[in-house]
Parts: sequence; structure tokens; C-alpha cells
Amino acid sequence: MKPTIGIEVHVELKTMAKAFSLSKNNFNDETNTNINVIDLGYPGVLPRLNKGIIDFALKACLAFNCKINRLMHFDRKNYFYPDLPKGYQITQQDTPIGYDGYIEISNKKIYLERMHLEEDTCKSVHTTDTLLNFNRAGVPLIEIVTKPCINSGKEAMEYLEKLRETLLYLGISDVKIEEGSMRCDVNVSVSDSDTLGTKCEVKNIGSISAVGLAIDYEIKRQEELIKKGEKIVEQTRRFDDKTKTTILMRYKETGNDYRYFPEPDIPYVYIDDEWLKEISDSMPILTDELKNKYTSLGINNNNIKTIISNKNICNFLESVIDKCNPIIASNLLTGDVLSYLNKNIIKIEDTKLTQDNFIKLVNKLDSKSISSKQGKEIINIILESDKDVDIIIKENNMEQISDDNFVIEIINKVVSSNPDSIKDFKEGKDRAVKYLMGQVMKESKGKVNPSLANQLLIDVLKKS
Amino acid sequence: MKYLDLDIKTINEKLKNKEIKPIDLVNEAFARIEETNLNCFITLNKEEAIKKALELEEKEVDNILFGLPIAIKDNIVTKDLRTTAASHILEDFIPIYDATVITKIKEKNMIIIGKTNMDEFAMGSTGETSYFGNTLNPIDKTVVPGGSSSGSASCVAAGITPFSLGTDTGGSIRQPSSFCGLVGLKPTYGRVSRYGVIAFASSLDQVGPITRNVYENALLLNAISGQDKNDLTSSSKEVKDYTKYLGKDVTNLKIAVPNYYMSEVIDKEVREKIINVINLLREKGCQVDYVDIDYLEYAIPLYQVIALGEASSNLARYDGIRYGLKIDNFKNIDELYKNTRTIGFGSEVKRRIMIGSYILSGENANIYYYKALKLRKEMTDSFKNILSKYDLIIGPTNTDVAYKLGTKQDDALKSFYDDLLTIPVNMAGLPALSLPVGYKNNLPVGMHIIGNYFEEDKIYQLAYFIENKLKEEV
Repeated sequence: MKPTIGIEVHVELKTMAKAFSLSKNNFNDETNTNINVIDLGYPGVLPRLNKGIIDFALKACLAFNCKINRLMHFDRKNYFYPDLPKGYQITQQDTPIGYDGYIEISNKKIYLERMHLEEDTCKSVHTTDTLLNFNRAGVPLIEIVTKPCINSGKEAMEYLEKLRETLLYLGISDVKIEEGSMRCDVNVSVSDSDTLGTKCEVKNIGSISAVGLAIDYEIKRQEELIKKGEKIVEQTRRFDDKTKTTILMRYKETGNDYRYFPEPDIPYVYIDDEWLKEISDSMPILTDELKNKYTSLGINNNNIKTIISNKNICNFLESVIDKCNPIIASNLLTGDVLSYLNKNIIKIEDTKLTQDNFIKLVNKLDSKSISSKQGKEIINIILESDKDVDIIIKENNMEQISDDNFVIEIINKVVSSNPDSIKDFKEGKDRAVKYLMGQVMKESKGKVNPSLANQLLIDVLKKS
Repeated sequence: MKYLDLDIKTINEKLKNKEIKPIDLVNEAFARIEETNLNCFITLNKEEAIKKALELEEKEVDNILFGLPIAIKDNIVTKDLRTTAASHILEDFIPIYDATVITKIKEKNMIIIGKTNMDEFAMGSTGETSYFGNTLNPIDKTVVPGGSSSGSASCVAAGITPFSLGTDTGGSIRQPSSFCGLVGLKPTYGRVSRYGVIAFASSLDQVGPITRNVYENALLLNAISGQDKNDLTSSSKEVKDYTKYLGKDVTNLKIAVPNYYMSEVIDKEVREKIINVINLLREKGCQVDYVDIDYLEYAIPLYQVIALGEASSNLARYDGIRYGLKIDNFKNIDELYKNTRTIGFGSEVKRRIMIGSYILSGENANIYYYKALKLRKEMTDSFKNILSKYDLIIGPTNTDVAYKLGTKQDDALKSFYDDLLTIPVNMAGLPALSLPVGYKNNLPVGMHIIGNYFEEDKIYQLAYFIENKLKEEV
């Protein structure tokens, strides 16, 4: 039996103002403060059109390889609900800004049917009464709809992860599923023939991993019903986080009648070549390109993954990558820096770390002027103060000694006072070298370059 | 003779030389409201108007509209002044913002006397669908004043205010202006901002001036026109000084008369009045030709589909949740909607919402609505074709003069036929004016002058010529 899945994702765009009014686009401010007569659907008001929402949607269109409806308009979707102030939602039915796109995941392309702009409703809060928060009314959204071309929970998760990551790198949304700035509905059907089966919709799933679980559960549930010879009835379900199952909400009523028609208050919008060029010129580097670049620079896959999933770290790396060793830089960022950030629950911008200081540190490590242990000490200092790396090294006497003659002098001194160790070495006991190295470091107060000293020590031992 | 009966230039002179004060005009206006008893206002702005008039005594008379009383149709929102659209559902609604046209009126220091009675949500052509009772026609209290801008026409005809603002979706400025013997203009769609105008049919609605004569009409259009960032459908086209074209020679104007506008459906005496004007124009040397304009006969079904479809959506916001009437005994949300809207809307409004919802429903949208949009484009193109050859189109505004109150209330379809000749203009988005050109049985006959997009200047030019020519005849 073959499962088929289609996914609809709503993404809040983080423009300054709302889609059709000048109210601030920030749901999280105090309840009902980012509102005006337009958001409230007062008699006589008309929508404005925030050009920024089109700019943002165009970026997504380009990133997802969509064709673009150059001459587009908005439509009204009419229905009654308390969270819908005007009794209709301004959306795009006939001319979605983007269509026929795709997103590449590891083993296939996920085809996108359409991407359109629309406004969010206000947020209902159910207490003893139902209360409404209009901060969300008119927040711009893009809805991204795939074709029914996904075949497993795993594929769905990979698609959503890629979608989320790309939108984040485009800088057009926070894409936080937990906070509702990205919302996923999935349609799952199972069929034992070539025709598609009856689909069941699972709405508003709380995380990407839950999407995977919900889909896998739905596939199993429907397969079992089909095996039992039962008919699948079109319905809307929800995912229950505790039991990891889907639960029936309601059966689909026969064809919702939204009485769509073109929004007469907003003239048609023509996206000309100049506009499109402006957008394509402003496109940031996206994750696929970054991954390729990092691989070619020799950064290991684990580090690449960590960097890509931490956009702020990635931005930092991008700002220094041309000026220092990228491997050392990525090791520092994904190691000491990230664990410092996680421990303190802060972002890299919130630390004292500067590009200049970081580059200096990487270069010191690269030239082996300091040890990696010293590097760790220094990074923790410069995360918390803007003290210059050179000064830190000087003040702490950290400059490593890479002068062969000086190092050999110390080695000779150590070796001559440890004759037993030479014997051990000759007998092939590894700990001899380790012990002698320890003595060398101790003697030099940790200032000799360890790898240099190690090499020279072995030479001396072999010769003696 | 009162000051309010003087022409605007004279009043302005008297204000300038302090012979009269704005308060004198305001007091006259309110006195006349009481004398005439026409029910042409839903809400009076007496206290504020007096306050404003007294304030203006300290100010310099800086423009010709300074200190003059104006009446505003009650579907144009006015901050802190009740705005009902003549509906029970907005009976207690006090707006928290001003419509753009109101801001402009206030900038000119005009004084708002009150909010005029109208058909509920501008749906009707007699004034009889108002929740606040019908408006009377000061020319003859037994006939309708026309609608939906009933009170706006009635109060100017009664001399209460020299100016009023109306709105016109299918003839709602021109028809009452015609029935009350006034000059009323529906500007080009996009000439005047719709921001703050309670929407009936968004793609057709337009605000316009109703006045005693052509000059004063042009003055008021000057004041309210212009692009508005709050209305995306408002035009960036430069606003002309429309008074400048008055008195300009009309000899070279080429004028078309659609055969449809002079057919048997139109009352014979009404046609005679129009023919009289045509003869005057020909004598003057104007070229006047009878022409065919395709698709005009589809005006009423087109209106029913497009206007009512849009209306069904525009009126969805009156749901009892955020403002306006809310009927409190409900068990669930559907009942709240149902009770509020059943009690809040009058029967004509409900009828139109039902038709509009049906038309947009499922497959009907394709059968009716999208087909109507195509037909609307065809009709517009045939107008454009004629206006590429002629400067103006003329004919009667209505099929007949004002009729007895109560005659069309029982026939839902019949009232649409009042707008037979005015609707096509809204469909095409063109500007058009109604000008009084005589009387039939003591009731005024209106002539329709339709112009090309943003050529209100030419309409006024011709209207002014005819207005003066007819005065000479008398």
C-alpha cells in the first residue's frame, strides 16, 4: 500500500508593518496594542498594501524555484468567524504570487503547487469567555502548498526542516513552530491502487518531529482500516502529543463555500523586471550553497550541520571566513563558543566577541604560536571582555616558543635527568614519551609549542 | 430672503467684510430644519456646529468655502459624530476616525450641520428603506426625494445647507439630485477617496457633491478631490480647478446621445426636455449625434450581480462582535450572528445580501459573477469607444420625474429600474452629472451629462452653459 502526503505550511512574514495596515507587526506586544481601525474591520476602512510583503514572498519564490504571477491580485475569502474582523480574509486564490516550484531534499524534489500571500486572523483566547487579540489580525502570511508527492513521515520532516532553514536564511520569518510563526497541516492518504486514496487532514501540529509521528501514525491507521475492508471517510484530525496518535476532530462538510471574488479595494499588482531584479540581487546565500562551500573548505560534516542550524553562528563564521583558517574557526565556533552560548542561554551577538579578536586568535592557533589549550582559555576570555588577544597573550606569558634550539636545550636538560625514561623508550614503552613531554612542558612553564617539542623529543630519544 | 439663499460668492463677501458671521448661517440652517420638517437628517451636529462657528469668528476667511454649512450623507464616517448608514445595526455607532473627505471639508473650515437620511446602507432609490423613516421632497411632500442620498438632496433643495455630500453606487447622487431639481455629480471612480465611506459596492461607490448650481458643485469637487494613500483605488491624476472651465466656449464640443437613453421606456415629456436642450446646443453650433452604445441594456442585471455580490461581502463585518448592534440572547456564535443580523438589517438589505451571497456561491460565481465582470468590461469598452469620438454623452438622468411615496416599496425589482440610465456610468467608472433642465407637472427633470475619465471639467463646462442658457429662456 502506498501512502501519499501533501503539506500546507503557513509562515508569518516578519515585515515591520502588517500586510494591509500600518500597525506594527508584533503579536507578542501587550494584547490589543498593535491594532488600528483597519485591523478591527471598522466601517469605511480600506486596506493599504505593504510592499514589503511582496518583496518577502518574492524572495521565497526565488528560493523555492517558483514561477511568478507577474500580474497578480488579491481575493476575498468570505466566511463568518469571530476571529475574522471583516467577515472575509484577504488572500490570493486565482493568482498566487508563486506556483510550480520545488524544494530539493536528499533523495528527491518536493514539488510545490502554489505559494500565496494572505492575512492572518486575530487570535482567540478561550477562558470562560472567548477573548480576541487583534495584534495578530492582518499579520502577513505566506501559505506554501506541496503537491501530493511526499511518501513518508521522514520525507515530510526533511522537507519541513529544509523549508524552515531556508526561510530562516532568507530572513523573512522567525519560523518558530512553537510560537505559531510556522504552522503545518498535513493531508495523508493511503491507497492500494494507482488512484489516490481518501485523504485525512491533520491540523496544527506542534513540531517538525510531531509531523513525522503524526504522518506515520496516520499511515498505519489508514492501512489497518483498508486491510479490514473499511472505507476511509474524509475528515480533519489533530495530533495528540501525549499519546502520539491522531484524534478525530470533525468530518469534512461537503465543499466549504468561501464565495471567493477579486478584492475590489486593492488594484492589480504588476511585478516588473526591475522589481524582480532588485529582489534577486538582494538574495542572501542559502544553505545548499553554504554547505557546498564549507565542504570544499574542508570543514567536517558534523560542524557544517551545527553551523547551518545555528544561523547566528553561521553569520559570524561568514564574516570571518575569508580572513582566517576556516577549519580552526569552525572548530572554535561549534565547540567552545557554542557551549558557552548554550550554557549562558545567549546569542553570539550578546557576547563581547569581536571579529577582529576572533581572527587574531584563529591566526595564533593556526601559526601554532599558542597551544590549543591556551586557545580555549583565550576564547573564554574574549567572549566576556573586549581585551585584545595580543595583550592577553602577553600579559599571561602565553607566547609559545617555537625556536628549535631553545626547545632542544630544555629537552636535553629533561632527558639527562631522567635516564630511566630513555631506557623505557628503548623498550618501546609509550608512556615514556608522555612522561618526558610533561616534564618538558613543566620545565618551559607550558610555553613551548607542544607538537614541535614532541617531534624534537622523539628525535633526541632516538639519537641517544 | 435669508443669507443662506444668497449665492456663495455673495455670502463669502459678506463673511469677509464681517457683515455676517458663520454663526448666522448655522442658526439659519437649524431654524430651517425645524421649519421644513423633512426628516432629512438622522443626526444633527448642533452643539459642535455652533462651537465651530464661534471658533471661526477668530479666524481669517481664507477660502470661499469658509464657514459654510454642509450636510453629510450618513454613510460617510465622522469622528465623534454618530454614523448609522440609516441602519438599526449601526444605530449607536460613533466613529473614532474621519473619512478622508471629512478631513478635507474640515480643512476648508466648512461647518457640518448633520448627517443626512438615506436608504439603509445606500440600498434603495426612494429613501424609504431608512431605519429612521423616509425623507420628504421639499418640492412636493407627496413624492419621493429619490435615493439613496435622499436627505443630502432634500436638505439642499430646502435651502437648509447650500452644500451636501452624497454617495453614488448606481445613481444615488444623480437620481435624487434630479428628483429635487439640483446639480449632483458622481466623479470618476478614483477621483475622490472612499476611505471612511461605509462600503456598499466597493468597485462602484464614489462620493460626490450635491449643490444648487454648477459653480458651487465645481467648488465642492475642488475641495474633496485628490489621491489618498488610504485608498489604493484613488487616482494620482492631478486635480484641476474645476471652476476654471465655467464659461468656456462650448461650440467645439462633440456630443453623443445614446439611442437607448431616448427610447420609448423614457417618459415622453422627459425626452422633450432633453430634445429642447439638444436643439439649444445645435443652435449654438455643437455637434450632437445620436449613437448606439452596446450592452447598455444589461445594466440592471450587471448591477444586481456585481453590486450585490460585493455588498454581501462588505456587510459581513456587522456581526455584533466589535461594534454596532449585538443581540444578547444567544446560545452559540451562529445564533449571535443570526439574531443580530436578522434584527439589525432591514428587509431590502437582507434581500440584497441574500442575492449577493447566492451569486458568489460555488459554481454560481462562474455562472454569474465572473461573467458579469466580462460583460462589465465590454460595456466599459463601448463607452470608451464612443468617448474616443465625442467629448460628452447626454440624455435624461432618469426614466421619469419623482413618483408618489410608497409606490415602489412592494416591488423589489421595480426600484432598480430607476437606475436604468445611471448604473452604466458606475459600471464604466465614468464621471456624470445631473442638471435640472425643466419641469413636468411641477416636478424637476434632470439631464445627464457623462464625461470621459477625469474630464469633470468638460462636464461642468457644458452644464454651466446649459444652466445659463435655460435661465435666459425663462
